[in-house]
Amino acid sequence: MVSLWDDYSTTNAYDEMRHSANQARPSSQRLSGYLDNLGRTALEVRKTAAEHAIMEMGITFTVYNEEGNIDRAWPFDIIPRIIDNKEWVGVEIGLKQRLKALNCFIDDMYNEQLFIKENLIPAYIIKSSKNFLQECIGMRPRFGAWANICGSDLIRDKDGTFYVLEDNLRVPSGVSYMIENRVITKKVFPELLQDLDVLPVDDYPAHLFEMLLSVAPAHRETPRLVVLTPGIYNSAYFEHAFLAQQIGAELVEGDDLIVLNDDCVYMRTIDGMERVDVIYRRIDDQFLDPEVFRKDSVLGVKGLIRAWKAGNVSLVNAPGAGVADDKVVYAYVPEMIRYYLNEEPILPNVPTYLCSEPEQLNYVLKHMEELVVKPANESGGYGMLIGPHATQEQIAEFRQIVKAHPRNYIAQPTLALSTCPTLCDDHLEPRHIDLRPFILQGESSYVTAGGLTRVAMKKGSLVVNSSQGGGSKDTWVINTGK
Amino acid sequence: MLSRSAERLYWLGRYLERTENTARLLSVHMNLMFDLPMSVEISWRNLLTIFGAGERFFQLYETPDEHNTMRFLLADTNYRGSLFSSLNFARENIRTSRDLMPDEAWQQVNEMYLLIREKSDSTANRRGRVILLNDIMRGCQRFTGFLSGAMSQDDAYRFIQLGRNIERADMTTRILDIGSTLLAEDRSDKMREYENTLWMNVLKSLSALLMYRKHRRLRINSGDVLDYLMKDANFPRSVGHCIDEVETCIRYFPQSEELFENISTVKKLLKTTDFYKITPKNLHELLDNIQVKLDEMHQQIAATWFLAVN
Repeated sequence: MVSLWDDYSTTNAYDEMRHSANQARPSSQRLSGYLDNLGRTALEVRKTAAEHAIMEMGITFTVYNEEGNIDRAWPFDIIPRIIDNKEWVGVEIGLKQRLKALNCFIDDMYNEQLFIKENLIPAYIIKSSKNFLQECIGMRPRFGAWANICGSDLIRDKDGTFYVLEDNLRVPSGVSYMIENRVITKKVFPELLQDLDVLPVDDYPAHLFEMLLSVAPAHRETPRLVVLTPGIYNSAYFEHAFLAQQIGAELVEGDDLIVLNDDCVYMRTIDGMERVDVIYRRIDDQFLDPEVFRKDSVLGVKGLIRAWKAGNVSLVNAPGAGVADDKVVYAYVPEMIRYYLNEEPILPNVPTYLCSEPEQLNYVLKHMEELVVKPANESGGYGMLIGPHATQEQIAEFRQIVKAHPRNYIAQPTLALSTCPTLCDDHLEPRHIDLRPFILQGESSYVTAGGLTRVAMKKGSLVVNSSQGGGSKDTWVINTGK
Repeated sequence: MLSRSAERLYWLGRYLERTENTARLLSVHMNLMFDLPMSVEISWRNLLTIFGAGERFFQLYETPDEHNTMRFLLADTNYRGSLFSSLNFARENIRTSRDLMPDEAWQQVNEMYLLIREKSDSTANRRGRVILLNDIMRGCQRFTGFLSGAMSQDDAYRFIQLGRNIERADMTTRILDIGSTLLAEDRSDKMREYENTLWMNVLKSLSALLMYRKHRRLRINSGDVLDYLMKDANFPRSVGHCIDEVETCIRYFPQSEELFENISTVKKLLKTTDFYKITPKNLHELLDNIQVKLDEMHQQIAATWFLAVN
């Protein structure tokens, strides 16, 4: 009999499901066999069912292009990605450890700056960081947690080790898709989820809610939570509405809020002004408060920073947390873990060359063809160079840019991201993936079971961002028994 | 609740009501046209009159025949009052209010939207149209069902109700305005002959035929139909009932004194009018007057509870 796996050829990269073309990893044996039994035709039927569900549920994201904003259906591949819980337990501890250290670092940067005084990081890196906000100096958010919500991107290299590629500490997105992907999978493969011990992911909103309550200003008895969105044209609007709904918070825009003379934040309701205690803001620092940051911001709320500094409202994530969301600062995270927590890092960083250091810059300029060069402060995969896939002209151009602004760039070896079987037309092919788990830190810490797996749908591509043609997969952390 | 949310929910209520009413009206009118002989002066154009859309129609089309009228009222996005436009606006409002209502409600509206988007070509033939209109009517009812089964009857719910009832009262007055044509002294013999059928269709357009029969127990006649659809306290689409509903909703909201004044004016108008003796001219004026009052109420609602644009 012809097997679905007959023409599945693993590449040099680590494949999440198959040791080799004809052998499944232990945690994936059931799934492999199941898919094989199902066969190609049935798989296509399930795929169509998933597409319908996505349309009907209205799971979309917004992309910008020349024609304006377009609401696109969420790109989803029905073949799940499996992680053995035995392995995941370690990753989870590693992620909590990492966020704890990052929060210690942020708190330190806005207060004593011991990490600089001990010569563990050059002072100029912080001074020149555009995410370091003077206004935040001296602030101490509750539990020392500045970044309450973090989305760290993990990748697996050839040998199967998980590496942290970056930590998104500003307004990380994607968690709603993680939850919706599972809802869709339940519709598409109900029989399979019943038979396997897959950890649930839909408890995230409950943990988010708890965390938000835990950081409310201390004296408020039943704190009022809101989600602050830039509005319907934001690419993650769907997620903002989804999360507000899930945690029972009001979804507000800048105009809905006002800071009065008592330095408290209120929202405009049909009953008049109502006090707001915790703002889960999905607006970047620069747009939060035209009184302090960008004067032209129409998304923010005048006086918000004043209210925050007076301790009358909690902002999540705290303004200024982005100082640690900088690819140069990233390189120092292992040292932060050692310094603040007195522990050894559990999850390794990807080796990183800092263009701000002359010797490392020289290396980068010489080896650009093999490296990935990234701007220190952008997100969404914009403005980067993937050496092995770039033309000579692009490389030459990047050399000039990097030389002109070394502080703004870092470089990393091109890692062979792991692959996962992905449905391409009517058969399975390996496609590169990464993983974004979400970590919460308030009074206590929490990590999602798995996270959002993003997949580069184009053959050989390493770009997984949904804004650039990436898709996603449901992620199953499963208990395999012993 | 947020002023912004109140506004969106109110419009959601209005637009969905408009969607459902449009679907029913088109469907009933199609049936009527199949029943009537060609010579009766009821035409596709009457539909345009009910919607007050004659002017816009002739900017976009030449002849008000079945094909054009249906396309215009059902699927044309160049006309803001078309069924598809209404549904589109309803969808935008619910898309931005998902935090306030059960998920199924959003999915229902989204499904209807996808359905029309996909099927808008099939509206060219009658069969496709009948199926589509039925699906839309059912979809709207399902939406109402989700809300009544799974949504707290809180302020959010009341703003939807408020929008729905203002829109509903408005539609009832528009449909009854055809009544003034039916009553006209100079109406043709043919028209007199089919009078019964026509009044029956007025009732059908408002889903009122069965309830009318049950509660009035009379042969269909203009006075009773008008009295029933204007004054009946229990029929959900009578103007009187809609106004009562509006009143009930706003009692729960703060600061609404001015609105109450307008409401009692309309109530008084209804109470003091004898619909068995009304002349076509007076009927037309009364309906016009009520429409103006409804618009004033709408303005007051907006000024009192919605987010002021600064």
